[in-house]
Amino acid sequence: MKTILAVDDSATMREMVAFVLESAGYRVIEAEDGAQGLDRATSTSVDLVITDQNMPNMDGLTLVRSLRELRDYKSVPILLLTTESSDSMKAQGRAAGATGWLVKPFDPATLLEVVQKVLR
Amino acid sequence: MGQEQKTGVGDAEKAADLLVAVAETLNSRLAVTAVELARSQTLLREASGELMTAFRGAADRLVSAQKALPAGTAERRTEYGVVLDHLYRAVEHLQSHDLVNQLIDAQKLRVEKMREKLEEALALATAPIADPQRPDQWLERSRAMLDCIVAGIRQIDEDARTPIRTDKEHAGSVDLF
Repeated sequence: MKTILAVDDSATMREMVAFVLESAGYRVIEAEDGAQGLDRATSTSVDLVITDQNMPNMDGLTLVRSLRELRDYKSVPILLLTTESSDSMKAQGRAAGATGWLVKPFDPATLLEVVQKVLR
Repeated sequence: MGQEQKTGVGDAEKAADLLVAVAETLNSRLAVTAVELARSQTLLREASGELMTAFRGAADRLVSAQKALPAGTAERRTEYGVVLDHLYRAVEHLQSHDLVNQLIDAQKLRVEKMREKLEEALALATAPIADPQRPDQWLERSRAMLDCIVAGIRQIDEDARTPIRTDKEHAGSVDLF
């Protein structure tokens, strides 16, 4: 079973992401900000990271950069799931090493398609 | 004191009083707005809480029922699939509740910051004027008050540049790099 780390400071959003992914058979672990996400990612083996951008303590882009510095996370897919939709933010995400960018509110079927695609 | 200087002092004092009245009125209106925003948020949170409880109950049961499903029970699987589709639609709407909550938080913060600046400006108006017969001293105080108010407006403008967006046009969009 693939393990997905969902990072978001909104408990509702984490719950929504977890429900959609668990209903499709994935195991989900949660973190409420980038710092906790980094901590979880280093203590557990994760197949995919889905993170929000605007969070306290550590934002999504910083989390992406920090994870990409770790040997174990050089090629693990990382998706940004955020309300931010500007091209400049997406460019920053790409430069940081993110695999993709999804804009909230997400459509569950689309999220599952993307997850399946990046985990292939 | 000449007549001209008296008129100058009177005008400067009136202008300062007018500025205080405007700042007080704006501050009291914003106080009402802050209360209304907080009330709206409470109502939304209560409604979202109820929806989340109902959603959680249905979702947990569905996920455990799916896990317990023996192979070859295609009919039940289809039935669960239909329920799942309904829950997926609920997921989209529950996210919107959450985003609206965040938007209200951002608006509350803006109102709060503006009120802080207005209160700073009003505090300046309570300081005694060293020489009330000099119009330039009234003007200096008015200018300091205006600077405070303008700083508050600038803060709002800066916050507006980094808003929490619920951009319908881009909602749900996907870019894979």
